[in-house]
Amino acid sequence: MTNSPSTTSPEAPGLARPHTRHFGSAAVWALSAAIIGYALVFGGYMATIVAFALIYAVFVSGLNVFMGLTAQVSFGQSAFAAIGGYTSAVLTTTYEWAPLPGMVAGLVFALVAAFLIGFPTLRLKGHYLAMATLAIGLITYEIAVEWESVTQGYLGISGIPPLGIGPFEAVSDRAILSVLSVIVVILAFAVTRIRRSRLGRAFSAVAGSEEAAGALGINVSRYKLVSFLIAAAIASLSGSLFVHVVGYVSPEVFGLHMVILAFTMVYIGGLGTVAGPLIGALIISILPEVFRGMKDYQDLAYGVTMILILIYAPKGIAGVAGALDARRSA
Amino acid sequence: MDLNLVLQSLISGISIGCVYGLIGIGFCVIYNASGIVNFAQGAFVMIGGMATYVLMTDYNLPYAVAAICAILLAGIVGAVVERLVVRPLWDRNAAMFVMILATLAAQIVIERLAYILVDDQPKTLPPFTDIAPIRLGGIAVNYQSLWIVGCSVLIILALNSFFRSTRTGKAMRAVSINAEAAALQGIPVSRMLTLAFVLSAMLGAVAGILLTPTQYTAFNMGVPFAISGFIAAIIGGFGKPLGAFIGGIALGVIQSMAILGLGAGFKNVAALSLLLLFLFFRPSGLLGSTR
Repeated sequence: MTNSPSTTSPEAPGLARPHTRHFGSAAVWALSAAIIGYALVFGGYMATIVAFALIYAVFVSGLNVFMGLTAQVSFGQSAFAAIGGYTSAVLTTTYEWAPLPGMVAGLVFALVAAFLIGFPTLRLKGHYLAMATLAIGLITYEIAVEWESVTQGYLGISGIPPLGIGPFEAVSDRAILSVLSVIVVILAFAVTRIRRSRLGRAFSAVAGSEEAAGALGINVSRYKLVSFLIAAAIASLSGSLFVHVVGYVSPEVFGLHMVILAFTMVYIGGLGTVAGPLIGALIISILPEVFRGMKDYQDLAYGVTMILILIYAPKGIAGVAGALDARRSA
Repeated sequence: MDLNLVLQSLISGISIGCVYGLIGIGFCVIYNASGIVNFAQGAFVMIGGMATYVLMTDYNLPYAVAAICAILLAGIVGAVVERLVVRPLWDRNAAMFVMILATLAAQIVIERLAYILVDDQPKTLPPFTDIAPIRLGGIAVNYQSLWIVGCSVLIILALNSFFRSTRTGKAMRAVSINAEAAALQGIPVSRMLTLAFVLSAMLGAVAGILLTPTQYTAFNMGVPFAISGFIAAIIGGFGKPLGAFIGGIALGVIQSMAILGLGAGFKNVAALSLLLLFLFFRPSGLLGSTR
């Protein structure tokens, strides 16, 4: 059961495509922009929800590189978000670093960890890979709980300063939303570039068939590791962003719930698409607010929706929009 | 360290390990029939203890009757999960991690239904036989541990003869060896998949009923036990029921030793590290062939 290559390389990279209209894809971007715009203008509670959604969009973008472009599976990306988040939290509170160097330090730690973990783990395939990564995520969670001298256990670390460079500090809802939006757009652009580059073509080949990619002279294990490192770096970034935006971190933030939520987002949005992580994160974050009245039934509705989408729309929203475009131009 | 304390931990490790083993066997049964890893396995463990509790307290059924009804209920839920969630994806040739995600979603749905239908309070069941524990020197062996070990061994023996002697059992083994060839022999492969889910759900429920008197049950207790059962299955060599049982006992013992030596907080770290060690160095498990 390998992932079909069609979900990972929807277009021949590097080639000029014939004139196709992107109404569907454009609509996805427009909807995302409208939601963020609404939050920017009206602020308030909606701004908080959308800010969380954007942080998740960052995290999911990383997952999307590893799962969508390279067709590997990791249930343990929360580990790298935790490393990034806790490094930022500890360095900016206990050692009074500025947010940006703290974030960079977190990134370095996450990359080192991903390198050490990726080496033995990425040799595994299928269920074994899924399980090993899940175990890594859960172990990181346990460490965050148990290593109380650094992480303060279940209590968590509070009083983390807001995002900022030099005199500029993102304190207001609008400033936070703007900073996060810019980061999400940059990431989306980067993923587009990666997808069309030599690197992206190698990822796509690995996704299609590891044996075939190897036969073509692609160093499969190296590209898997690179993809894993990119995903880990992005996850670490999202972890750091989270702690600075919320000002507080505890192990619960990076638990199994985060992984399941991120997987839902990447699937609802569309695995392997550029717009998918953003729209998926926005919709999954806002939906619970819509169903607020029926609090007890929220998770139930969420689980049922998830199953229905996996069965009937396995390529997600961006995938459906792309399919509409393809039909129109055919 | 006090020897009695070590022996005492060993006994509790073996008894919880048997429960992990039963859950692990549930994973194997489905995996052999379909190549699917069913992450909703924990839900069946929860249903076992929870349904028994509800039937006993709200409907005043005798313990044994309530337990049997709970096992049957879990079997029905297993069939429903197979028909409504797994079957449609199976027919569409869904990717492996789509299947993992869908069964996880099924787990969430079942958990939430239990939360809505019952409540969120942890519940416990009385021990099967309420007699003072047996004393052997400085160690106390409670009867529930004996029940767990005894029932688990009986179930393993029953399963073994089911797979070896009955027509249905042989058919299920044939499907696990080669589904297409089995279909050509006239074995209804699709019915075997449903049956595998029913069987594995009932095993999970038995595990849940056995363990609830020693611990507790709650709507969200399934996932940790499913993970332990999965680790047991990996240690044993995935798809090997006997291996899963041995793996379960090994896991239970190592966990209780970790609690003794390092503190209760390290219970999960020990289990997950054991999983990683096996995945990295011996992915084919204890009973698997070395390649």
